[in-house]
Order: sequence, then structure tokens, then C-alpha cells
Amino acid sequence: MIPNASDPVELTIFQCAVHSIAEEMGAALRRTALSPNIKERRDYSCAVFDGSGKVIAMGDHMPVHLGSMPMSVAAAIAAIELAPGDIAILNDPYAGGTHLPDITMVLPVFLHGSSAPTFYVSTRAHHADVGGRFAGSMGPAEEIFQEGIRIPPVRIVRGAKLDREMLDLILLNVRTPREREGDLQAQIGACRVGEQRIQQLADKYNPRKLQTLIDDLLDYSERLVRSELRTMPAGEFSAKDWLDGDGVTDIPRKIAVLLRLDPEAGAMHVDFAGSSSQVAGSVNAVRAITLSACFYVLRCLLAEDAPATAGILRPLTLETPEGSIVDARPPAAVAGGNVETSQRIVDVLLRALAQAIPNRIPAASAGTMSNLTIGGVDPRTGEPFTYYETTAGGMGARSGLDGISGVQTHMTNSLNTPIEALEYAYPFRVRRYGYRYGSGGDGEFRGGDGLVREIELLADGQMTLLAERRKFQPWGLQGGEDGEHGIAWVTKAGTTEHTELPGKCSRQISAGDVLRIETPGGGGWGKS
Amino acid sequence: MRIAIDTGGTFTDCVCLAAGQLRVLKLFSTPADPSLAVMDALQQLDAGKGLNVRHGTTVGTNTMLERTGARVAFVTTAGFEDTIAIGRQTRARLYDWFAPVPVCLAPRELRFGVPERVSAEGKILRSPTDEELAALVAAVRDSGAESVAISLLFSFANPETEQRVEAALRDLGIPVSASHRILPEFREYERASTTVANAYLAPRMQSYLLNLEENIAAQYIGGRMDVMQSSGGIVPSRLAAREPVRTVLSGPAGGVIGACQMARWAGFERIIGFDMGGTSTDVFLADASAGGAERTRESVIAGVPIGVPMLDIHTAGAGGGSIARFDAGGMLRVGPESAGAEPGPLCFGRGEKPTVTDANFLLGRLDSESFLGGSVHLDRERTEQMMGQQKGALESAEEFAAGILRVVETQMEKAIRVISVERGHDPRDFTLVAFGGGGPLHACALARALRIPRVLVPAVPGALSAVGILLADVVRDYSRTVMLPGDAIESLAQEFGETKSFAELEQQGAEEFAAVGLRGVPQRTLDLRYRHQGYELNVDFDPQAPAKSIEAFHALHLQRYGFSDAERPVEIVNLRLRMIAAGEHFVPRRSELGIGDGRAAFYVERGVFLDGRFRPTRFFDREKLVPGDRISGPAMITEYTAATLLPPGSSAQVDGFGNLVIAVEDGVRA
Repeated sequence: MIPNASDPVELTIFQCAVHSIAEEMGAALRRTALSPNIKERRDYSCAVFDGSGKVIAMGDHMPVHLGSMPMSVAAAIAAIELAPGDIAILNDPYAGGTHLPDITMVLPVFLHGSSAPTFYVSTRAHHADVGGRFAGSMGPAEEIFQEGIRIPPVRIVRGAKLDREMLDLILLNVRTPREREGDLQAQIGACRVGEQRIQQLADKYNPRKLQTLIDDLLDYSERLVRSELRTMPAGEFSAKDWLDGDGVTDIPRKIAVLLRLDPEAGAMHVDFAGSSSQVAGSVNAVRAITLSACFYVLRCLLAEDAPATAGILRPLTLETPEGSIVDARPPAAVAGGNVETSQRIVDVLLRALAQAIPNRIPAASAGTMSNLTIGGVDPRTGEPFTYYETTAGGMGARSGLDGISGVQTHMTNSLNTPIEALEYAYPFRVRRYGYRYGSGGDGEFRGGDGLVREIELLADGQMTLLAERRKFQPWGLQGGEDGEHGIAWVTKAGTTEHTELPGKCSRQISAGDVLRIETPGGGGWGKS
Repeated sequence: MRIAIDTGGTFTDCVCLAAGQLRVLKLFSTPADPSLAVMDALQQLDAGKGLNVRHGTTVGTNTMLERTGARVAFVTTAGFEDTIAIGRQTRARLYDWFAPVPVCLAPRELRFGVPERVSAEGKILRSPTDEELAALVAAVRDSGAESVAISLLFSFANPETEQRVEAALRDLGIPVSASHRILPEFREYERASTTVANAYLAPRMQSYLLNLEENIAAQYIGGRMDVMQSSGGIVPSRLAAREPVRTVLSGPAGGVIGACQMARWAGFERIIGFDMGGTSTDVFLADASAGGAERTRESVIAGVPIGVPMLDIHTAGAGGGSIARFDAGGMLRVGPESAGAEPGPLCFGRGEKPTVTDANFLLGRLDSESFLGGSVHLDRERTEQMMGQQKGALESAEEFAAGILRVVETQMEKAIRVISVERGHDPRDFTLVAFGGGGPLHACALARALRIPRVLVPAVPGALSAVGILLADVVRDYSRTVMLPGDAIESLAQEFGETKSFAELEQQGAEEFAAVGLRGVPQRTLDLRYRHQGYELNVDFDPQAPAKSIEAFHALHLQRYGFSDAERPVEIVNLRLRMIAAGEHFVPRRSELGIGDGRAAFYVERGVFLDGRFRPTRFFDREKLVPGDRISGPAMITEYTAATLLPPGSSAQVDGFGNLVIAVEDGVRA
């Protein structure tokens, strides 16, 4: 029961209100953005924070941003004294970001002429290009300087006025400046929508009441997690899993975890000691990502309608070895840490938890976002383009249920680009999009199947693939078979000659070439 | 003679015009065969020659919800057969590892590919040969499909190939639904999903509607039937049978039209509708000065995206029967589980879990005598005892009950926010129109929370949907995706020659209306956006002044999203044509207002829990109120299917049509 002041009714009302603000910001962003990755695929997150930067509501967008958005807000607060009407922008993974394409904006909300912000609202969106060596900024770089423009926390809007010089600096460093400008404008608009709604909400309460509600909301989330952890067996559970390689060499990289469950205290300790050191390639994750993965797993253990607030993390203690693949330091390249390593961290956590609560943990899902970026010049318009898309795979089977086929799992939930939107926006022709039948692992319950997608290029361009689970298949559980590994091919124009592509690579490809991606299936659950 | 019949879960409501007045009849529904109650009602209303029945039906909704539709074959471009199942490749529940595996309406063995391709520009790159078409027809025949949906890539841009496939499949003698007819717009999944839903509903809806019309024609010479669509327009049953996906929200749509009409007569243009039933609550927003009720093309019905325009009815999973509980973290939750009619709330004597109805009852807000005419006994002792047992850490059963009401009202507030504030409307400019069993009871509290100044409880809250169906216009929507630059706007006003102009759509509409003896009036709008955006804003199009649409777009963008840019290129995405033939002209008689205080309707004074304590509250019988009567809160105004609560500080006046018009706050005139 609720031990402190706010009554449960008031708290529900407040929680619904702040959550709907985060959702509303997302809707505004989607409806006004230009790039297919934001408007069609919804690769963004919006959240509301209290005056100290603790997240109190997050829209149901991208789980990989759960733990890392607060770090952006913290970094912005630490670097800049934000005044009313200011908006901070940042993407530096070493100052509150995740990887460079994710650009975050933070707006402080000042109430009743108070001198310090009572809330912050924040939008983060994945931009389809932020410059760097590879079109789409997701290539096999070897240090962060090759991955694109790096933006520390700075003001993009000052006193409600756009800082045109700052914007021009950013736009000069990217391949598709017009699209970026439109998307950044949409992010600013979404922040302002959030600000307005927060101010309307705050009008209903006196400042002390507001603070009590915020505190109680965080306490509430904490109580939910602790009561869940109290039902678990005490003990230490360890697990490891592998990344195929870092994209520079083919050497597998290890992620290891030790999970200590303490039901008496309702607490969980997670230690990634034994994980690989940071690598030359881009699969390094900053600590924010590792924290997001833990946040996501804890959140999934709760009922579906539990609010995702900072309180969820209170029962967690997290150890990450400095300079490791789960807590990288500059100048490590990080583009893949956010999209690939994040999924593997979830896999490892689940593998450990499966020993403690076997019936509640699904087998491994695809474990890769199969990121594809293509950049070039559209012959129809003469304008540059950059395309980014992730292709879903199979979901791991569950006790009592097959896995779902061709669906985004764990750290992402972005949509596909409709083929009719894609071919209108880019010089491509999609030749095939369907299930990869039989790729899910067999078992009492079958893993979901992956997908097959074939794209024919109608222009020359640079293609970058960033994918995993080529060597190490998504594992089954409790006797279930592993899911099929992923694979990709390119067929040169006018030939039938297929060349298999490595999981992580960048290639020049020509008009008429056909690219085929087959994503991994999920693991099976139980002996068939 | 025109009779409107709305078939609901419990009641079948009928309304007709007799001697210039609305006549209302309520029968119990016959869910096994809904047409039985319809035919019974016609008899009771002494229907005669030349009968025109207007029907609102739940057959479509129920077929979707219960998944009892046809075995549908899905035909698409070869290589894309699975896209109907993959959807947008997202999971519906972000943090749920045990989400059920979605079931596609077209199973794998019923998906077929055609070797063909059209480009984004509408150019045919590959056509199926006659042999390939014959093989397709044979395969579909052998599959045992009962209905077929065709949706080829880019068929909205060039329907030629899809038309060939359609013609070939017609030979099978089963219903054929083609996407370029059902929804000729871009985004292949949403278009295909809508087409498949149409095919899924077709056999059952067609036989229901056509049989019913046949029965009517057989019984009543010259009798025929029209059907209410989800978009709020009436179509002849023959057309409705062909595109049943357009009637999925037939019944609730009647409520929207009815509420709008009643409000307009009462003098209110901008309304938020609030229809609270047993398990769910429907809300919607309408501004008569801006074209009436809001419409959407992004509905999801029973998990299936449907892209045809529907009235934007937002449903919250809470109603009178919703169950209250404390979750593991100690938070009070209400719904979405409902006690339904069986076992029902605690106070009906069988339920074990507290519901919203019980909370209302415990707090004196349900009147045993007047509730359904006193036909249901309400058990106070049992309710008090069981609410007391389940109140958790709260002080008293009353506090628990008050908490339940605040939580449920918050959920409704949130639902109303979604359709109002979140879309840039200020609730202070609106009147809340409350109907359904629970609407009038919660309306004032909600209005206060949202700062809505006024509440209207219409004269026939129990038959509002049927009234709406009776009075609705005959409406058909046509659309076409054109993807033109903003500069091309002048060309849209041209006569024929340019296939992308409105002329072609208008011809189709005029022909369809003429076939049923109607003359339609065209209403033209455009979906515009800034170039490369993914979502459009809908603005009026005037062929005399095409450029005005562009100006209207900039203004609307500024209003909705906080910015606009006249320098940025605009794109014309869709042409939309709405053909309208006006419905029956009817204006109810307005009575002179007297000066009264409702004394003759007063029947008892009881305690009602308001603002934290029981306060003496006067109860009035609505049937005995007369125009002009003015009542101040705290008061309860009870009737057969509903009760209106006036909290302290509010006051109601009966208007010349018998509506209750409530000023929610002191000092604000209704």
C-alpha cells in the first residue's frame, strides 16, 4: 500500500496526464517530420523529466532510449544554465548521447516565474545522416571522429529564437541538410507542444503538491519493481553471449553478466565484469545503453501499464567495467552499440534470468536490428538522399506461446517504411518482402520466423550493413532449438552471381544491383 | 414513411416521424438474428407502403470483434504475399514478453501472388499474361476461399492491372474486393488491410443486409432499406453490402449525428460528445461551423487497421460495469475488465467485485426506484459490505467509492483530451453532450475537470443514435492519391482531359447517386502537407479560388503544430470528394419557455455524496419537467435509462425542446 502522502487517485490522474504529454509530443514530431525514418518508422522517443532530471514519463516509443534520455538531460543541465525559451541540442555519446544519429533536444519548463526549471521535456530522434565517413552514419568506423558531427550540449534555441548559426554549423556537416533542417524543426515544435501542456497541467496544482506527486510517482514505480523482485529466488546467476565481431576484425566479442537477486531487499545487482574491452569497430556501447537494457528488462517484468519512471532503476545496482564494450570511453566508435550491442546485452540478461525464473523468460529473439543505410543522389531529382531502415526478425518462443514472426523485439519498435512511401522517396525498387519460413527455432513452442527483403537499386550509391547473429544464432531455451542465423547477399546488375556480404560492411553499389537481407529467426522454447 | 432502427447490444431503438413529432419505440434486441427485432418493430410502428427503413447495425462490429467473418483469399503483387500479415512489423505491446501471436484475417495458404509490377510513377513495368491470370483464378478456386481481396502495389497510382485481376476473379462467383475501389491511397499495408476487412465482412453483411431488405420489400410494398455508415452518412443497402467495411461503426455513428443535430437545434455548434455505456465510453468532437464531426482515416477495429474515413470516435475501456482494484504497487485501477450484464455489479446481487455502478450507488447517485423503472432491485447492504472489504488502505467504503469515480472520470477526461486538447481544440469553446446510461451522471464532473462551461443532456438520451440515423444525409466519400506539387493546384479545377482533376471523381459520384434516384451535391477537400512530410492536413477546395487551399493549409499547420513556413513547398497528396444528398428536413417544435422551478417534478430529498460528504439533494422526475424549469445543484434528475447529477454550484434549465442545458459553474449562463 501507499505509505506516504498523495492519495492513489490523485497519483493516477497525475501519471496519466504526464504520460499523455509524452505521447502528444511524439505525435507532433511524427506528423511534422520529413524523413521517412521519423515520420513512417517512428524512430524517436519523447519524455518528461522533473526539475532534477529524473524521468517521470516516457511515451511508448523506443526502449533503447529508456535509460539514456535521462543522461542527455543530465548532460544538458550540467553543461548549460538553460533559461526560459532555451532549447539545448546534443548527440555526443560521451555527454549524454547514445550514438551520433540520435539527436536529442532538451527544453526546460519554468513555472510561475520560478528561477529554476520545475520540469524538462525532451525529444530524441534518429536522423538518417549526421555526416562522417559513411552515408547514413552507421558504417564500420574505427573511431568516433569518422561517425559524423559530434554535438556537445549547446543551445539551438535561445530565448525562443532559433540560433541560425548553430543550425548552419550542423547542416553544413551532413549529407541531406534540407531534410535534417525539417526534422530538427519538427523536434523543436514537439518540445514546445510538451512545454505548453506541462504548463497547463501545472496550473492545476500548487508547487509543493506538484513536487509531492512527482516524488510519489517515482516511489510508486520503485515499489512495483521491488514487489516483483521479492517474488524471485535468491541467488547469483551468470550468463554470457557473443557478438560476431566488431566490423573491423572477425574476432567474436564477449558480453558476460553476473546477476545477483536479493528478494529480501527487493533488489537486483548486475555486474558486467568479464565482458570484452572496447573494440576498434563501432559496436561499443556507452554505459547509458547498458543501463537502458537493464531498465527495459526490469520494466518487462512488471504489468504492462506500469509507468516507466526513474523509480524503476532504484532497486538496481549496475557495475560496468570502464573501457569495456558495455561502457566505452572516447574515442571509441559507437554507432552499432546502440542498435546491436544493446540487443545482445538484453539477451545476456535474459539468459541469466532464465535460470532464476525459467517460465517467465522467452528464448532469444533475432538479436540484431539488421541496419541498412544507403546514400547517393536521386537521379529523378538530382538531390542527395540517405536512407536508413531496420528489418525485424523472429521473436523468441515463450512458455505456452510461439514467438511472433517478423516483428521488432526488445530495444526497438520502429515501423517499416511502406514500400509505396519508400519508392516514392528513394531511387529503389523493393522486389520482395516476406517471411523467411522455417527460420524460427523448433521446439514445443516455435521461435518466430525472420524476414526476407530484396531491394533493387535504381541509382549508384554507398550501402552500409550493420547486422549481427551471423555466427552465433539466437538461442533456444529449455531444450528449444536455435533460430536460423541472418544472412545478406548482393546480386550485381544483369548477372545471377550472388556475393554474400559480411554482417558489417560498407560497399559501393550500382544501379541494377539487388540487395537481399534475410533476418534471423527466434529461438524455440521447450523440447519438441 | 421513414423509420430509423438502431440495433444495440441490449436494446433495438426505433424512431420515426409521426405528425411532425419524433416517435420512439424501444425493444429488446435479438442477437442471434438481429433482423427479428427489426421486423417486429416495423409491425409495432404500423409501417405501410413505400416504407424506407434506415438501419444502424452492429453486425459488422461484432463480426470483427468475434472474428466470425469469411475465409478470405488475399491477392497481391508476387513477392509481397506476406505483407498483409507482417503489417508494420511492430509489436502492439512494448513491454510484454507474452503478447499473443496476432492472427491475420488472410492465413498463409490463402495468400496469392500475381507476377506484375507498377512503379511509383504509375508506369506498368510488368503485366500478368492471360495464362498467369487463369492459373491465379484456379488456385483461388481450389483454396476454398469464400471471399477475395485484391491489393496490388501502387494500384492507387494505376489501377489497370488490378482491374484485370478483378475481372478475372469475378468468374468465381464470390465477393471480390479491390483496393483501388475500397481505398485508392498510398501505404500498401493500410490499403490492403482495409480491403481484406471488407472481404472478411462481405459474405455475412451482404446476406444480412440483402435478406433484410428483401423481407422488408416482401412485407411492405415498395419497401426498401438504407444503412448508416461509420462516416456518418447514409447509403442504400445495396451499396453498403458492396463495401461493408464502411459500416463497421454504424451504430455509434448514429449517436454522433444525433448528438450534433440535437445540439444544433438547441443552439450549440461546437460539441464534445460523451456516450458512456456499460463496458466502454465513446467520445467525439464536432464543430458544426467547421464541417461537423471530426473524421479519421487511422482507425483500428479489433486489431485491424481500417483506412476508410470514419467518424473519429475514441473509445475508452471504462463504463458503468468496469471493475475497480488495487494493483501490486497500490494504485487504484478501474477497467478495462467489466462485470458486464453477468455477473453484473455488486448491487445487482451476483457480482463479487466493485464496479463504477456500485460506487455511484453507494454514494447515493443511483436511484433504486427510477433505475430502469424500478425493475432491478439494488442491494445496498451487500454493496456496502463488499465495498468495505475491498477498500484497501482507504478510510471508508465511501472514500473508496469516491476514489473509483475520480479514477474513472480521469480516464474519460483523458479520452476527451485525446480528441480535443491533443488536437489543438480548447474545451472551453465546447458544450459537452452527455448521453448513454452513464453520461449524464458524470458529465458535470468531467466538464469541470476540462473547463467545459456547459453540458447538454438531450431530450431522448436513450434513442439518440436512432434519431441520428433518421436525420442523417445520404453521403458517399471518394478519394484519389495524386502526389502533385502545390503549384499544380489550379489544374485540379479543370474539366476533363486531366485525369487527376476532381471531374472524374465527380462523375463517378453523380452516376452512383443517380442510380438510386438521388442528386448529390459535391464537397471538395484536399489533403496537403509540406513536401516530404508524411501526414497531411485536410482543407477545403474551391474550384473558383484554388489557391485559397494553400493559404488555409499554412494557417492550420501553425495552429496545430506551432509553426508554418510560407516559403516551404507544399504537396497535394489526396483529392477528396464527398457527395451529399440532404436527409429529411425536420425541425422539432420549440415550446415557449415558462418560468418554473420544477416543483411538480420533485419527488424526494436524499443524501448524495458530493465534495467529500453526503449533502441533502433534491430528486426530480425528468418526465414531469417542462420547458423553462430551472433547477440548481445539488440535484438529481432521473429518467428511465439515465440520471443527471447537478453538483453544487451548477444549474440546469429545460429548453424549448426538452433538453437539459446545464451551466457547470456559478455565474456562467447556460
